[in-house]
Amino acid sequence: MAKIGLIFNGVWSHYALATAPKYRDLYQLLYVHDLDAAAVRDLDALAIPFQSNQAVLTEKKALIYDFLRAGKKVFLEGDSSTAWLDAQWEDRPVNNYWWVTDPTKPPVSDTNYDHPVYQGLTPRQACWHTHGVYTRVPASAEIIQTNAEGDIITWQTHEHGGTLLATTLDPIVEHGVQQITHLDNYMDRLTEWLCGVRPEPTRLTIDAAAYGPGALV
Amino acid sequence: MLHALLISNGLAGLEKYYVSNELVHYTTCLITKDFNPDLAPYDLLVIPNGSDHVAMLKIKDQVRAFLDAGKALVCCDGFFTAWVPGNQWVMDNSRRTQDVRYFPGPDRHGLLRNLDLAELNFSHGMSGWWACGYIQAAPGAEVLLADTWQRPVVVLDEVSTNGRMLLTASGPLADVTYAGRSDSALVTMYRNFLNLISTFSDPAHG
Repeated sequence: MAKIGLIFNGVWSHYALATAPKYRDLYQLLYVHDLDAAAVRDLDALAIPFQSNQAVLTEKKALIYDFLRAGKKVFLEGDSSTAWLDAQWEDRPVNNYWWVTDPTKPPVSDTNYDHPVYQGLTPRQACWHTHGVYTRVPASAEIIQTNAEGDIITWQTHEHGGTLLATTLDPIVEHGVQQITHLDNYMDRLTEWLCGVRPEPTRLTIDAAAYGPGALV
Repeated sequence: MLHALLISNGLAGLEKYYVSNELVHYTTCLITKDFNPDLAPYDLLVIPNGSDHVAMLKIKDQVRAFLDAGKALVCCDGFFTAWVPGNQWVMDNSRRTQDVRYFPGPDRHGLLRNLDLAELNFSHGMSGWWACGYIQAAPGAEVLLADTWQRPVVVLDEVSTNGRMLLTASGPLADVTYAGRSDSALVTMYRNFLNLISTFSDPAHG
């Protein structure tokens, strides 16, 4: 039975990850336009991917914070809006090729590897690229990753009851896209942290039957 | 002048990639819970990268009718639901991205004209950066680009409906050129399609 709700606005990379045999028993797609309290009641965690619809998330803001108040976990990746999150995300150019042009300057310079999601990861597994930075986070936030300029990449807070982990990395989208081949490491740790179950240590595969008329929507 | 409806999934920055110009005027339609746009006033429907294919499935009959009226569709995204007439995108990760190359097909309308294929094959020396998966193309549709394993990644379909469809296997396209720069491959392919449908659309709008 799925334990993690993946809030979903019909984007293919979200769909590819949640319907992959490796993850499909743990993640449940929650179409954002139909999202209500009943849909999340029995879940352990919510995941909000990059390329989400921030305006609709703002409409559903109470649901997200009620979920946190129940002591549960929320993972947020990529961009966000101050309309629903007490933090300032700012866009920055995405550097997908730093490891080719200058591998000594990764987009993250400091990581707290004591955090359960990051334990055992190599620096390359802990950062592939970033989508912007946080220039302001809540006073209660613990900083987990920063870049060379001191901007915040990853942070978490418990101030709403449960745990909100926010990052400008995009493991859900990029693992769905499958152009970076080492993201099982990050996603498997993230999944275990969110729901207590570690996926099988195998590479993500695709079930072609989930595409087309058999789409699980 | 074409009139295009650009479907927005609420992602930041979409309008930066589709800018009205001498060929086309864009109207943006934001997807909401009750998404049901009136397609009739438009010549072209644009489904950009990062689109909502649950919402598109809900209006598949309207899209079909729009195309049967001789209109045009660009979908440069992973259409995992069955809303595109005659064609289906399927994700696949069984091949190594470092082996991905694109090979041109017959291209009888010149949609690859002036396109630098090397731009799609490599970005900063990396291959496999542009498209993902492949398209199960309709019989009779024109495969403009196939990948290393002869799987369609760009398709021009003039047979499944009375209209025209330009489909990519999730590879983004764009309609913007920054001052002082030449058109990128993504823009060249897109504008070649705009020119094609303009040629056929003008009499109908005359």
